Amino acid sequence: MDKVSDKNTGKYALIASMVSSLLLVIIFAGLSFLVNSSRTVPLYSQVDIIAGMIFVFILSMIVAASVWPGFIEKKTKNNSK
Amino acid sequence: MKTDIKVFGMTCMHCHKRVTDAISALEGVNSVEVSLEDEKASVEFDADKIGLEDIKKAVTDAGYEIGEDACQIPDEEEAACPVIIDEEEPEESKVEPGTVKEIAFKVSGMQCSACAQNIEKALNKLDAVISASVNLPMQRASVSYDPALITPEEMENTIEAIGYHVVKDRVVLEIGGMKCAACSQNVEKVLKRLKGVSSASVNISTARAQVEYNSSLVSVDEIKKAVDDIGYSASLPADRKESEDREKKEREQEIKQQKNNLLICVAILIPIMLGNMKMMFPGLFGFVPALFSDRNLLFLLATIVMVFPGRQFFVGTYRGLRHGVTDMNLLIATGTGAAYVISIAASYLDLGPGYEHVYYDTAVMLITFIVFGRYLEARAKGRTSESIKKLIGLQAKTARIIVAGEEKEIPVEDVQVDDIVFVRPGEKVPVDGVVVEGSSAMDESMITGESIPVEKNVGDMVIGSTLNKSGALKFKAINVGADTALARIIELVENAQNSKAPIQRIADLVAGHFILVVHVIALAAFFFWYFIGYERFDVALHSGIASPFLFSLLISITVLVISCPCAVGLATPAAIMVGTGKGAENGILIKGGEALERTLKIDTIVFDKTGTLTKGKPELTDVVLTAGNDKDELLTLAASAEKGSEHPLGEAIVKAAEEKKLEIIAADNFNSIAGHGVEATIDAKHVLLGTRKLMEDNGIDISSLTENMERLEAEGKTAMMVAKDGQVIGLLAVADTLKENSKEAVEKLQKMGIEVVMITGDNSRTADAIAAQLGIEKVLSEVLPGDKASEIKKLQEEGRIVAMVGDGINDAPALTQSDIGIAMGAGTDVAMESAQIVLIKNDLRDVLASIKLSRLTMNKIKQNLFWAFGYNSIGIPLAAGILYPFVSRIVISPELAAAFMAMSSISVTTNSLLMKRSRIK
Repeated sequence: MDKVSDKNTGKYALIASMVSSLLLVIIFAGLSFLVNSSRTVPLYSQVDIIAGMIFVFILSMIVAASVWPGFIEKKTKNNSK
Repeated sequence: MKTDIKVFGMTCMHCHKRVTDAISALEGVNSVEVSLEDEKASVEFDADKIGLEDIKKAVTDAGYEIGEDACQIPDEEEAACPVIIDEEEPEESKVEPGTVKEIAFKVSGMQCSACAQNIEKALNKLDAVISASVNLPMQRASVSYDPALITPEEMENTIEAIGYHVVKDRVVLEIGGMKCAACSQNVEKVLKRLKGVSSASVNISTARAQVEYNSSLVSVDEIKKAVDDIGYSASLPADRKESEDREKKEREQEIKQQKNNLLICVAILIPIMLGNMKMMFPGLFGFVPALFSDRNLLFLLATIVMVFPGRQFFVGTYRGLRHGVTDMNLLIATGTGAAYVISIAASYLDLGPGYEHVYYDTAVMLITFIVFGRYLEARAKGRTSESIKKLIGLQAKTARIIVAGEEKEIPVEDVQVDDIVFVRPGEKVPVDGVVVEGSSAMDESMITGESIPVEKNVGDMVIGSTLNKSGALKFKAINVGADTALARIIELVENAQNSKAPIQRIADLVAGHFILVVHVIALAAFFFWYFIGYERFDVALHSGIASPFLFSLLISITVLVISCPCAVGLATPAAIMVGTGKGAENGILIKGGEALERTLKIDTIVFDKTGTLTKGKPELTDVVLTAGNDKDELLTLAASAEKGSEHPLGEAIVKAAEEKKLEIIAADNFNSIAGHGVEATIDAKHVLLGTRKLMEDNGIDISSLTENMERLEAEGKTAMMVAKDGQVIGLLAVADTLKENSKEAVEKLQKMGIEVVMITGDNSRTADAIAAQLGIEKVLSEVLPGDKASEIKKLQEEGRIVAMVGDGINDAPALTQSDIGIAMGAGTDVAMESAQIVLIKNDLRDVLASIKLSRLTMNKIKQNLFWAFGYNSIGIPLAAGILYPFVSRIVISPELAAAFMAMSSISVTTNSLLMKRSRIK
């Protein structure tokens, strides 16, 4: 039972991490395009935006993957009580 | 004679026939029975006509292989192998649930306190683990667990699964009495069954067993005993080198590995740096070949560094992330990886304007500095545990025992209790014991610190590892192996170094969460500079970096690299290790970090009088008689009553009687009344010896002696009344002289602002007189032994932090009650167990030294934490570019951040090592 719930926690944590990271990446990309569109000469090249998206994704995945498992485990314990 | 021979290579009945024919053809062979299934041939032969070797040769000539020697199949009277071990484990090895056991693992691969935290987290997650504590510099994980629910192997697997390595102890034993493969299997089975043994391999041909074990669960002695118990003999080989110190070997290997990594990094960094310099200052560095600036070469060189010296960070990161743990490897991998990847992209892809520069030099320099830091840290870690190695080095390697009247030299581990050991002049005493023959002077300075050789005669105790100076003597071994005084001291120091101080737990907690916080800061810094800072502060103009992404990336990398919390994790344990080690070298054994912290806060010290402030060897000074009584009779009765007493006052009376050659009569109905005296029946006379209260309680008139008693007490002596059959017959006064340095110690403690209190069972007059000699104002007198702890408690209730100094024999409750118990003198088990500080020498100045040592160590811890936290606190905002708007340039580059980070952990370790030069006496 424990192993099953552990597996589920891991699965949920991964999904949550991916979702939150992608969200942040989308915000990053969105803001970049917004800034570019507000100017005559774009500030960010395509390389800047793409490389930035990759970097943001990696860093935010690291943060999210460290935070979500604990959060989900807590929630699961509270719900089971 | 009959024998069984293992025959390998037989596959069919044809082979069966060939072997049978080959053996049958030999002269002298009476019968042969070959079993294809069992791969053996049972041969009955006449040993006068043919030998076993000939039979074996015949089998090999026939094209088959012979296995290990088999046991001779016995005649009816004789046994073969001493014992056959069943497959089933005996019932008594099953553990009851709910029991708690302690175990310690040696763990290698930890780099920072985040690693230590990760291991603690992983172990604490296991249901059956009650608590887990990891000491980074000692590379030890101490775990309390329920053995019914989890095995040590499962805990080891947990540690290994998150990327660290459990180092096991290894020992090679010579096994005697093995005759065949079954014997070696027996030995293997019984060894593997031992709790704490993870693997055992027995080789019948070399008669040796290689055993891997956890020394916190099983000792070499227990392993040997297990083999002895099944009828074989086990001993350490005479030709062994120093017992394998796997931990030391792992450490040396790590140092060698980091050194090689560093050499590779430096060798590659030089051309990269030259190429970089040439690009920046072409005029100055014109001599540098253009090749060094070629991107292909830079890519190749950087790749070598990333793949070889840099691999440890990426592999560590991968292993950690697989199990959800983050550590400094992640910080470094992210930082260097980002610089490396962007450089490759810039080299081989057309990324457009702003991406002309590459950052191979950044990646290589980051790795070089960090590897340099790890190399120096690995070297420094080895030095902090030197004190244990010194203590271990004091142990003798061999011992000479007398067996059947003859001397026999054996490894010291093989000495048993009650063995008679012979020591010649100039040799080390191997174990603790009692002298049975001869006399000598012993140099005990390495244990007790007593520089003057101590005379030893028949009946005196000798301590293992001390040096026999003048005469030869024989002694009976009393304490061997882990029970010797030295072994207990080593264990105490090891445990002390393994323990955590409260302040360290806070530091570890912070460091453990730090990595996550750093990543958030790095992300935030990236966002800020990318969207706001780059344009706002004209970065393109000032820095020459045309790409907002590149600039923000560099800031992020710098934040990641400079944030490494490794110094925080080392700050406290490094200081504690050096501090406790220094204490051990000076005869001060401090039981752990918590004891160090509390010692610092002491404002009151309570000294027990007898044996602590005084020499504890009272002498009879006065005899006062009532009318019509005889001095010799008085002394005889008193000595006879006190003969059964172990009290120093009683011993003084007995000694005086013996010196006068008075006959001591056996006492009947002896009764010791704690704090009051003794009563006994001697020669049908009822004798009482003790205090005023004892006489009053028994209705005895003491008015004739009161004046004399008061006079003697005012002189600082302990006066005891003697009564016979209800009548007081005289008074005996005993004086215990002060130790030479008691007054000095008390004065210095008072100067340090600590209030000194004396506690004693003596009457108030005597106690006050002694206290006045020492300059002690507060005296707790007429305290019964059982009330000492309550007196300590009363002082604590006044809000004081109280230390108690005693010799441990009857001070145990008070030592335990006090905030810091300080026990004087080595060798007393009670002292070692009930006190937090043990002073091996009988010198009160060591009390001062222990307080000074605590202050020194705590100051060192605070310095280290200040540098570690302070460095991070200042470094992170600077790395994030907080000063950029004011100075218009990057204050800390990624390379500089790496250099600072490396220097921080080195400086913490080196700062701790500086304590070795400080004086505490």
